[in-house]
Amino acid sequence: MNQEEEIRLTITKIIRETSEKELLINFDELLADLEGQGFLNQEDADSISHFQSILGRVVDENEDINELSPRNRPPHYYSSRSLSETYAGILVRKAENSLVAEVVRENSATYPRPVPLSIFREPPFDLTQEAILDCLAGMGKPGNYQDIAQTTTSIGTVFLYSNLHLDPTYASTLAEWIDVGQANNP
Amino acid sequence: MAKYGGWAGKVLRVDLSTGRITTEDTIEKYKDYIGGTGIGYKVLWDEVPTGTKPFDTANRIVFGVGPLAGTGAPCNGRTAVTTLWPTCWPKPLVASGHMGGHFAAELKYAGFDAIIIEGKADRPVWLQVVDGTAKINDAGHIWGQGIRRATIEICGQMGPDASVAAIGQAGENLVPMSVVINSYSHSAGGIGGVMGSKNLKAIGVRGTGCVRIAGDKGEWENLVKLHLSLLGAVNQHVVPNSPQPWAEYYSASRWVGSRGRKWGSADPNIDTGVCDPHNLNRIAYRSNNAVFFLGDKAWQYTVRGNGCSGCPIRCHTILKVPSVSSKYGIPEVGQNTCVGLLFGRSFFKTFPDGPQGQTSIEACMVGMGLADDLGIWENYGQMQRDFQQLYYSGVMKDKLGDSEYKGYSWDKYERGDPGFLFELLPKIAYKEGELATALGLGTGHLLERWGIPEQDWQQDPNIAYWKMGHPKHHSAEDAGQCGVIINTQYNRDAQCHSHSNFTRNGLPIKVQKRLASEIWGSPDAIDAVADYSPMNPYKAKMAKWSILRKELHDSLSLCNWMGPWIASPLKERNYSGDDSIESLLYSLATGDKKSREELDEVAERIFTLHRALTIRDMETKDMRTQHDTIPDWVFTDPTGKKCFTPGTNRMDEEDMKLAMEMYYELMGWDKKSGSPTNAAYHKLGLGDVADALKIRGLIP
Repeated sequence: MNQEEEIRLTITKIIRETSEKELLINFDELLADLEGQGFLNQEDADSISHFQSILGRVVDENEDINELSPRNRPPHYYSSRSLSETYAGILVRKAENSLVAEVVRENSATYPRPVPLSIFREPPFDLTQEAILDCLAGMGKPGNYQDIAQTTTSIGTVFLYSNLHLDPTYASTLAEWIDVGQANNP
Repeated sequence: MAKYGGWAGKVLRVDLSTGRITTEDTIEKYKDYIGGTGIGYKVLWDEVPTGTKPFDTANRIVFGVGPLAGTGAPCNGRTAVTTLWPTCWPKPLVASGHMGGHFAAELKYAGFDAIIIEGKADRPVWLQVVDGTAKINDAGHIWGQGIRRATIEICGQMGPDASVAAIGQAGENLVPMSVVINSYSHSAGGIGGVMGSKNLKAIGVRGTGCVRIAGDKGEWENLVKLHLSLLGAVNQHVVPNSPQPWAEYYSASRWVGSRGRKWGSADPNIDTGVCDPHNLNRIAYRSNNAVFFLGDKAWQYTVRGNGCSGCPIRCHTILKVPSVSSKYGIPEVGQNTCVGLLFGRSFFKTFPDGPQGQTSIEACMVGMGLADDLGIWENYGQMQRDFQQLYYSGVMKDKLGDSEYKGYSWDKYERGDPGFLFELLPKIAYKEGELATALGLGTGHLLERWGIPEQDWQQDPNIAYWKMGHPKHHSAEDAGQCGVIINTQYNRDAQCHSHSNFTRNGLPIKVQKRLASEIWGSPDAIDAVADYSPMNPYKAKMAKWSILRKELHDSLSLCNWMGPWIASPLKERNYSGDDSIESLLYSLATGDKKSREELDEVAERIFTLHRALTIRDMETKDMRTQHDTIPDWVFTDPTGKKCFTPGTNRMDEEDMKLAMEMYYELMGWDKKSGSPTNAAYHKLGLGDVADALKIRGLIP
C-alpha cells in the first residue's frame, strides 16, 4: 500500500468513526487528526494541497462519504452509513442562527407540517429554552426570517411554520390536527 | 384437511340450550370465507333469521380466527367476534368486534378455527376449551364478578397459560354497551351483553398444539423476516417523530421512541434508543401509545409495552401510577391502548392541572381500572362525547328526575375529579338509574329514548357521530372522500385503518403520492391532510382497496390496526412496503396458492356477504339512501371555509354523490341503489345469496 492509499483509508476511517459517534468532522479537525498521525505537516502548503486532493478523491470514490459546505466555515464530512443527510444537515447548522428557521421551512415545504417548538429542546437540536426564546425574538425583527410564524393549538402548544409554504389557516389546522386531532381520532 | 396448513381444521359449535357440542370441518364449510369475520358472516347468513334480535336465543356469536393466527406472521393476534349488533340503531344488524391478546393463537393451538355459540344456557356457565375438547362448566361462582376475578379464577383452574375471554357485570346485565375482554385488556366492544344473554360468562382456551405451515420452512422464515423488516411503529407509522441519526425524515407520528425517552417505571429505566429500523429486536421500543395519547408525562409511568401474540409492536402500554392506589383504591398498574387508555379521561372537559397533567393520567387509570373490570364499552369514545354533550347542553338535567340528577357530584365532575367515575361507571354496568341505563344503550337508542332527533347529533363535528348509533372512525379527516366512503359501509363505526395508517404514516406528501401511484394507479389517489381535491377514480380505488384489506385482515387474523404494510421505514426500498404480503403469507401458510388479486377477490366475497346480510335484515335494497348516509357535519366547516381549500376537511355534497357512484361502479354495484347486482354476487360465487335476495325483491 502506498502512502496516498494509506491516507485515503485513514481519512475514510476517521470520517466513518466520527459519524458512528453521531458527529460531523470538519476540514480543520480532519487535518489536525492526520497531522497527529504523522501523515502531513500543516506548515507545508504542498502537503495541505495534497491532502485536499486526496480528500476530494475520498468523497468521490466512497458513496457513503459526503461533504457539507456551510457558509463562512470549513467543509464538514460524514458517512451516510451512520448519519442521514437530514441529521447531518441539522448537526452542521447547529452553530448557525438560521437553524430553527431553516428546519421550519423544510418541514413546511416537505411534509407539509408546522413544527412544535418543543422539538428544538430535544436531540439533536438541544437548544436551551433561552436560546429558543432568543431565536424567536430574532424572528420578530426585520431580516431573513419574516416568513416564520407561530400558531398555538387549543391546548396551548406553540408551533412554527413558514408562510412561504403554508398559509396561516392551513398551518393552524395542521397544528391542531397534530397536537389534538390525531389523539382524539385514534 | 392434511392438504392445507394454516387452518386448525375444525370449527367448534356449542349449543348452550342443549349442551350439545359438535365440530365441523373448516375447509369443507368455510374455506371460501377464510376465517374470522368471513366465518362469522357466513354463519349469520345461513343460520340467523331476519328479525332476530341480538339478545334472542336464535342469535349466534362467532369467535372466528384465521389461518395466520398462531403462526409466526407478525401481528396475527386478532379474534373477530361477529354477531347481531346490540347498539346498531334503529334495528340490529350484523357487525363484528375485534380483540387482540392471546385468544386467537390459543384457540388455534387448541385445534379450532372458530367457536360458534348458539342457544342459551339455563344458568350461568363458562366454556372450557382444551386441546380439541370442550366442556360447559357452571359459572355460579364467578357470575357477578368482574372480568379480572373471573379471569383469575378460570386461569386457576386451567393453568396460567390459558387465555380467558370474559364479560363483566355490564355484559351479565345485558348492557348493550359492554365488552368481552381477554388477556385483561384486549376487548371486543358490543359483545358483552350478547354473551350475557346466553348466560355465558367466559370462554377459557388452552392449546398445546401448533399451526402447520404448508410451504417450505426456509421460505416461511424469510417471508416473516421480510414482513418484520417492513414494520414501522404502531399503526404502521414509518417515520419517527423526532430526528434520528439514521432517519431521512421525522414527522408527526406515533413512532415516539428515541434516545433519552425512557420507560421510567421499569426498574432499571429502559432507554428506548434510536430505534434503527434494521434492528428487528428493538421494534417494540418504537411505540408508546400512552405517551402519544396522554402526553410526555406518561414516560415516567411507563413500565413497558404489551400486546398480542406474534406482534412486536406492543400497542398496549403498561403504566404504573402509584398515586391512584392510595387516592382511589384501584390497582396502581394498568394497561390498554387508544380509546381504552382514554376511557376515563374522555368524560371530562377540563382537569385542574391541564389536559396532559397528573389528574388526566389518574382519570385514565381509574377509567381503565373500572371499565375493563365491569366490562363497559365506550363505542370509540362516543359514550364520553354523548355524556359531555348531554351535560353541558343542559339536556341531561331536563331528562333526569331531580333526585337522580342531584345524586351525582357535578361539582366533582366539572373540576375534573376522577373520583366522579366511581359514581357513574358501576351504575352503567348495573343499569342503575335513568342516566346510566340510557348511556348503556348506545347512542342511537339513547337519543330515541330521550326524544332527541338523530339529526341533532349529525350537525356537530365535535360529537363525531356518524349514523346508526355509531361514530365516525377515520372519515374525511383521513383521506377525504375515501374516508367518507368507508364510513358509510358498516353497521357500526368502520374500524378500518387501511387508509388512515397510510395517510398518517409520516412520510412527506411527495413520497406518499409516489407510493399511491404504485398502488392505486395515480398520485391523485391521495391528498395532503386537510388539503383535499375533488373526487377522482383513484380515490374510489383506494376506498375499495381499503375495505377489502380490512376484511382480509379480519379474516386472516392479521391486525388492521397495524396494517396494511404498503409503506416501510426503509430508505433502501424507497419507503415501499409490500402490497402482496398478505397473499404471500396466506399462500405459504395454507398451501392454497393465491395471488394478491385472487385473495382480494375472496375479501370482496366476504365483504359482499356482509352487504347482503345488511340488505336482507334491513329489508331494503335502497342502500344508498337508507344505509350509506353521510352526516351533515361532513359538509360544514367551523370557520366557513370552502371545500377543497387548504385547512379544511369539509366535503362537497355533489362531489360526495359522485364519489359514492364511482365506488359503487368499481364494486360492480347498482349506482342508483348502492346494492350489489345479480352479476356481482355471481361473479364472487355468491349465487345462492343472490337467489335468496331475489325472492325477497332485494336485487336491483
